[in-house]
Amino acid sequence: MNQNTILSVDGLRTHFYTEQGVVRAVDDISFDVRQGEIVGIVGESGAGKSVATTSILRLIEEPGEIVAGEITYQDTTIVGFDERSDGTLVPKDEMLTNRQMRSQVRGNEIAIIFQDPMESLNPVYTVGNQLQEFIELNRDLSGSAAKKEGIDVLREVGIPEPEARFGDYPHEFSGGMRQRVLIAMALACRPNLIIADEPTTALDVTVEGQILNLVSDLQEEYGTSFIWVTHDMGVVAEICDRVNVMYLGKIVEQGPVDEIFYDTKHPYTKALLESVPRPDRTVDELNPIVGTMPSAIDPPRGCRFHTRCPDAREACREVDPQFVDVSETPDTEHRTACIKYDDVGYWDSVPLEHASEQDTSYIDEDQRPENRDLEQTEGEP
Amino acid sequence: MTLLRYTISRFVQAIPVLIGISFITFVMVNALPGDPVAIMLEGQEVDRETIEAVERRYGLDRPFHERFVTYMLGLVQGDLGYSFHRDMPVSQLMWIRLGPTLMLVFSAFVFALVTAVPLGVLAAKRRNEPTDHVSRLVALVGVSTPSFWIGIMLILIFAVWLGWLPSGRLVYPWRDPAHYGFDGRLELYYQTIRHLLLPMVALGTLQMATIMRIERSSMVESLQEDYVQLARAYGVPERTILRKHAFRAAQLPIITIVGLNLSTALGGAVLIETVFEINGMGRLLIQSIQQLDYQVVMGVTIVLATIFVIGVIITDISYAYVDPRVSYGDRE
Ligand code: SF4
Repeated sequence: MNQNTILSVDGLRTHFYTEQGVVRAVDDISFDVRQGEIVGIVGESGAGKSVATTSILRLIEEPGEIVAGEITYQDTTIVGFDERSDGTLVPKDEMLTNRQMRSQVRGNEIAIIFQDPMESLNPVYTVGNQLQEFIELNRDLSGSAAKKEGIDVLREVGIPEPEARFGDYPHEFSGGMRQRVLIAMALACRPNLIIADEPTTALDVTVEGQILNLVSDLQEEYGTSFIWVTHDMGVVAEICDRVNVMYLGKIVEQGPVDEIFYDTKHPYTKALLESVPRPDRTVDELNPIVGTMPSAIDPPRGCRFHTRCPDAREACREVDPQFVDVSETPDTEHRTACIKYDDVGYWDSVPLEHASEQDTSYIDEDQRPENRDLEQTEGEP
Repeated sequence: MTLLRYTISRFVQAIPVLIGISFITFVMVNALPGDPVAIMLEGQEVDRETIEAVERRYGLDRPFHERFVTYMLGLVQGDLGYSFHRDMPVSQLMWIRLGPTLMLVFSAFVFALVTAVPLGVLAAKRRNEPTDHVSRLVALVGVSTPSFWIGIMLILIFAVWLGWLPSGRLVYPWRDPAHYGFDGRLELYYQTIRHLLLPMVALGTLQMATIMRIERSSMVESLQEDYVQLARAYGVPERTILRKHAFRAAQLPIITIVGLNLSTALGGAVLIETVFEINGMGRLLIQSIQQLDYQVVMGVTIVLATIFVIGVIITDISYAYVDPRVSYGDRE
């Protein structure tokens, strides 16, 4: 663990006990966040990104449950288990109580910005009412001082005439302006870490650009750390320092953003990168990922990506890939979970008869690589 | 100011609705079988001349449209015609009968809201726990049991068997205590409540069950909204979430349903008034239909419809008051 680490997630598993079976939404993931950096969590929808971040705040609701792993924030244990002699896991004594989570962590240490700015503000209260409430709860300010702080933060995130807008209702703001309000809420609580859960997905590209710039500026000014959840590699390139690529409840590759982009190891990361529109490529050259992500109820055995991986071989169906360090230099901390980089017989095994190469006839017409548009791979539902 | 203008415009909009209602009522009552003059003069030896004289006197010899216009002109002046049977102006009769009905319906809604809202919130908070299952079962029984049956059962249990409460008639708090032989105001109010209790519960149970179901589902939905999740993520205590963040927006469907259910409550009042022998509009309607007292039937129908329209307007205004997204029609 690095000295500047403020949050560390180790072996986290969050499962949902549904009638259809156990959804292993997050299945053994580990990553950390250091002071003042923006860490990306990237992957298709359904990869478990949001579940991972809600687990950090312990906001998982029935039928979901954090079943294993440790989450440590600075010196406090947000999640931790002790193993009893009979093998069952019991929560650690030093784990924060729900009350402590509420009063010591949520808002004042770790704040969150949700994906949909339209749904994240209460329609029947004014923006100022909600902002002021959060400030009063999380900082030692009350009444007019909290209101003044709220107006200042609104000004800071670029809302014109913040004094007048303070008393307006959410429906009187545009989508981009609402997202600024939500960013203001997070900043106003002066947290150490802000979790941004796809905060720009619902916005159009111009507004998205503005918000990203705003966040970069504010991040420099306040030195706040961010966890930035997204499905968009373009956004990752723009603001993240380090990246975790998630696929079906697991992290498949993690490392500094340059390594991920220029020394890509995992076939899934490659596929994600190839599906991003770039100035040097035409739409025809885009190469979306074949097929859809399997269900997390009954994930494929072996490597979870083998059903869609262009490099899959027989061994990938059997071996569960472990994290391998693929760093070029000692402190890069570039890791990937693909048996191509491990010594477990990948190169001796036969390539899998694969949907993407041989037989595409069973795939629905609109699911074929040549017929799919970017939306279907990238779009959130 | 905008809310005031919205209120005024809603009342102005209601005028054509009320004219329409009066017209339909007038047509329907006129289409009813039975000759009012013959009924009025029943049992008397009369000749053609007398009948024609009576018809002329009450304007029954004139064509339909003329009679309608006359009726409407009377209506705007508060004249609802004359009841031959009761030998008094219909409007005066309405004034006497309106109080009991309004008191009954209003108290039934108060009872329903005061019980159903907290229970619904509790059920939503404890969803899928025993509390929730019990309250949902009670609500289901509540919506599927006819109110008159509940009324009869209440009378049997609390009036006949236990003898705790009176079985019928109301005591009116606006009357002089001496009229009932009570000692003073205090006893009058006490007796008012005692007498009102059973009919209020009988009429209010259906409303309570309906409101409880909606409150529960609305709160369940509201508790899952992003803005509630956001409040949780910022450390807002669960109590405040229930009371503030989830509660207010969840009341919008309740407001709507209270307005719409005013019609079932007024309909229910007709039965409850009959069961409990309350001399309100409902009982008057039933008696007047039996007596073919057309003027009264028409008057009651129009007054009840007006109450309903006013009720809907009041709910619309409350809705606009609670939900800032409702535009008052002067924007966009
Ligand atoms: S382990 Fe095999 S299937 Fe999985 S990503 Fe690597 S090559 Fe593809």
